[in-house]
Amino acid sequence: MSRKDELTAQDLLPLPAAMFHMLLLLSEGERHGYALKREMAKRSGGRLNPGPGVLYGSINKMLEHGLIEESDERPVSHLDDERRRYYRITPFGRRVAKAEAVRMRELVEMAEANLGLPEPA
Amino acid sequence: MADPLKLYRFLLKFYPARFREEYGTPLEQQFRDEYGDAAGGLGRFAFWARTLRDLAISIPLELLRELRQDLSYSIRIYSRRPLVTILAVTALALAIGATTGVFSVVNALLLRSLPFRAPERMLQLRNAFVVSGSAEFHAWRSRSAYLEDAAVYDQAEMNLSGASLATRVKVTETSYNFFSMVGSQPEIGRSFAQGEDVAGKNGVAVIGYGLWQQFFGGDPRVLGSTIHLNGTPLTVVGIARPGLDYPAKTAMWTPTVFDHQRLPKNGAIFWETVGHLKPGITLAQGESMFEAEAEQRLPGSMQQEGVNRPRLVPLREQLAGPVRRASLVLLGAVAFVLLIACANVANLLLSRVTERRKELVLRTALGASRARLVQQLITESVLLTCLSAAAGMLVANWAARLATVAQPAQLTVQNYTILDWHVLGFALGLAALTGFMFGVLPASLIGRLQPTEELVRGQPGNSRSRARSLRSVLVVVQVSLTLVLLGGSIVMGRSFLRMLGTDLGYRTDHVVTMSVSLAGTRHGTAGLRREYYREAIERLRKVPGVVAAGAINSLPLATAAFSADHFRLDSGRVVEPSTVMVATPGYFQAIGTSILFGRDFTSADRTAPEPVAIVNEEFARLSGEDQALVGKRVKAAWSESKPVIIVGIARSVHYNGPEHGVFPQLFLAAEQRSPSFMTFAARVRGRTEAYLPICRDAIQSVDRQVPVFNAKTLDDRLAETLARPRFYTTAVLFFGALGLLLAVIGVYGVASYSIIQRTHELGVRIAIGASAQRMRWMLLRQSLLPVAIGMAAGVAGAFGLGQFLQHLMDAAQGVDGLTSAIAAVVLAAIATVAVWSATQRILRLDPMQVLRAE
Repeated sequence: MSRKDELTAQDLLPLPAAMFHMLLLLSEGERHGYALKREMAKRSGGRLNPGPGVLYGSINKMLEHGLIEESDERPVSHLDDERRRYYRITPFGRRVAKAEAVRMRELVEMAEANLGLPEPA
Repeated sequence: MADPLKLYRFLLKFYPARFREEYGTPLEQQFRDEYGDAAGGLGRFAFWARTLRDLAISIPLELLRELRQDLSYSIRIYSRRPLVTILAVTALALAIGATTGVFSVVNALLLRSLPFRAPERMLQLRNAFVVSGSAEFHAWRSRSAYLEDAAVYDQAEMNLSGASLATRVKVTETSYNFFSMVGSQPEIGRSFAQGEDVAGKNGVAVIGYGLWQQFFGGDPRVLGSTIHLNGTPLTVVGIARPGLDYPAKTAMWTPTVFDHQRLPKNGAIFWETVGHLKPGITLAQGESMFEAEAEQRLPGSMQQEGVNRPRLVPLREQLAGPVRRASLVLLGAVAFVLLIACANVANLLLSRVTERRKELVLRTALGASRARLVQQLITESVLLTCLSAAAGMLVANWAARLATVAQPAQLTVQNYTILDWHVLGFALGLAALTGFMFGVLPASLIGRLQPTEELVRGQPGNSRSRARSLRSVLVVVQVSLTLVLLGGSIVMGRSFLRMLGTDLGYRTDHVVTMSVSLAGTRHGTAGLRREYYREAIERLRKVPGVVAAGAINSLPLATAAFSADHFRLDSGRVVEPSTVMVATPGYFQAIGTSILFGRDFTSADRTAPEPVAIVNEEFARLSGEDQALVGKRVKAAWSESKPVIIVGIARSVHYNGPEHGVFPQLFLAAEQRSPSFMTFAARVRGRTEAYLPICRDAIQSVDRQVPVFNAKTLDDRLAETLARPRFYTTAVLFFGALGLLLAVIGVYGVASYSIIQRTHELGVRIAIGASAQRMRWMLLRQSLLPVAIGMAAGVAGAFGLGQFLQHLMDAAQGVDGLTSAIAAVVLAAIATVAVWSATQRILRLDPMQVLRAE
């Protein structure tokens, strides 16, 4: 059903920032929607803080593109809320995230060459 | 907590069904978590602001995404069955298009606002009392108890000559207050001043905007300049607003209505009165006051019947005229066809839903909700309707253009167009309504899907026998209506063909015609006019390729009003009122009317000792003398003029076209009396249209100041005469064809539906030895039963249709047995083919497969 067979990683680039963040987070392990959101807000210093509609819209899109999938595995029962859904990254999602990172690296290299960026602290 | 969540749940309903079903729970969960985290009044406020923003962004995005998915799915579904799709789109496009086209006429005539002051209070006073002059008229209108204001006018075509060119224009002679009455002050300059409609002061004119652009090149210096109307000098004082061409496409207004002699004219004068009803007085009150006044001023006038009776008519009704009733009748008919088309396409899609049952059941079993499937079906129907509506606009545009040719509106502002908000809105409304109708009908079926039961049994439930009988009833209604429409089409088509085949008594091919008016020109006396006509005909004859040329003051297919008289024979017998016309030598030859007895006019008639005349066969027949009439004298019964000697008898002709009959005619020799208006006719060799400019130039060369107008081929004049019956015939033929198409779709739909429903039964029957052919015959019999019942009802309806058609077209006759038989045979044959092809799939039925599927 998904379109990953028809799509290559390049077709999906550039990824929206929120989607890239979510893929990076999921590459660390499975998470449910609200956890993704909180972690994303934390790491971006509050700049990326999508509301539930936008969040699940992105999740929906990533599911459709085959970047992530729903996970059947649940955490230990006292930590689990039955109503929550957990997601994990697919191999295709990993490839897409990598391709996005490479794209960004190339962009940064170009910026360095042209603008002379300061060394990271 | 309960209340905010309730509100949020309500807002979630705006998401598309699939998204809501998929993510409703986590969304609510997250809402609860975040609501809990947001503390304090300000925190809650900020939380709500974030939530609403989130909804405002994500809902449209999700709607669009789902629409895109549904659309691409719909396209896949439709392209799988192209024939069904094309049939449905065609039927709907024709129905929506025809309805919109007819509506564009109704809209232009009855709904679009008129460019007048208080148009709803404007009235035409038909057969109003005659007043003697300006003073009496203005005294009457200012005293009127029911009219706020009134103006009087008279219309005529006149020659307009400026510095170099000359042209023919429609002139309205009015009272001075015409422009203030209609509420349209001139664009440039002024309207007529008070008292300017009396003799001696009325040498002024206001010209129409279009005429100003075309004839005067939009030059404002025309104000104050002198123009000549039928040779009379007038000063231009104003240029009317663009779009004002009331009444009846007027190009110039003069305040000369009370001064009959001011502008020389041909023909009779008909005064028309228009007015505004006083505010607060109803039309009924106004009518009774008007009638009382009419009776008082013209005793006995209210006892008259028909067109001569004084009447107060709302201006809009007056302008819509005879087109109004026909258009409303057509709109009613076409709306009915549209309804049937909708029901029919719904039926067709319904059987498609049945075919897709398995798919839908499977999707339900996999968790798709009813709302989700309904949304998909409605998207499919809306897509189908949008396609149909788009194609329908082409049909509508074509219909509006056809109507413009057939029954043109009186004013430019009333032109029929689909590019009008009312019309576009109407089409959009139709599309939405039809889309909804067959989106909802198939969708209502989904409510009855029982996934588990159906998946287990592989068989649909048993709740549809009612639906099946409903379909049969629909087919009965539809077939009967189609038969009525077909019967009507055949009658109209036959009448029209008969009309085309009528021997008119003259030949319209290879004839060019054009007119001149010498009123107010320097050709003022009978002798000068005769010389002008003689010279013009001479020049026409010299044009290479012209084989005959002549002129008459009332050309067939061109003139609606004639003068008529009673004629007394030597024997004392009086012939019924006969039209009197004036013709030149060569006229009969030019239009191909043969002289049966005696001779044609010749140039020698000028010096003949007594006036000569030619009569037509009808006159000769009514005189009781027939061919013996040649050489006898007749005299106008009520006139002192000299008797005329009959020198020839010409064939009778259908003067006003094939719709109308022949009447007695008497032709006087133009050599002996020369009217101020004549129409030339020249018979030519080769391509007729090519001769129009050449012949016009030939006549124009006689005198540059005399405009030559209405240059047309006689074939074109015939086509104009036939435009209205052609339009109605086309419309009814179109409805007939549409009805037939719908009937085919209906019968096909029901047949294929019943086969799908009975696949199992048919498989079993074939398995135990019944032949597939026998099964087909059985289904054919069963499917054609409602068709037969519908045909019986339709024949009765078709007989009733005869009168309705006679309203539309004079020559149409009632529906006879033969017509009904032809319609029934056509319908039965097509229905049989439809069912037969629908049952083709029985031949492919593999009984083993059907049984295994159990």
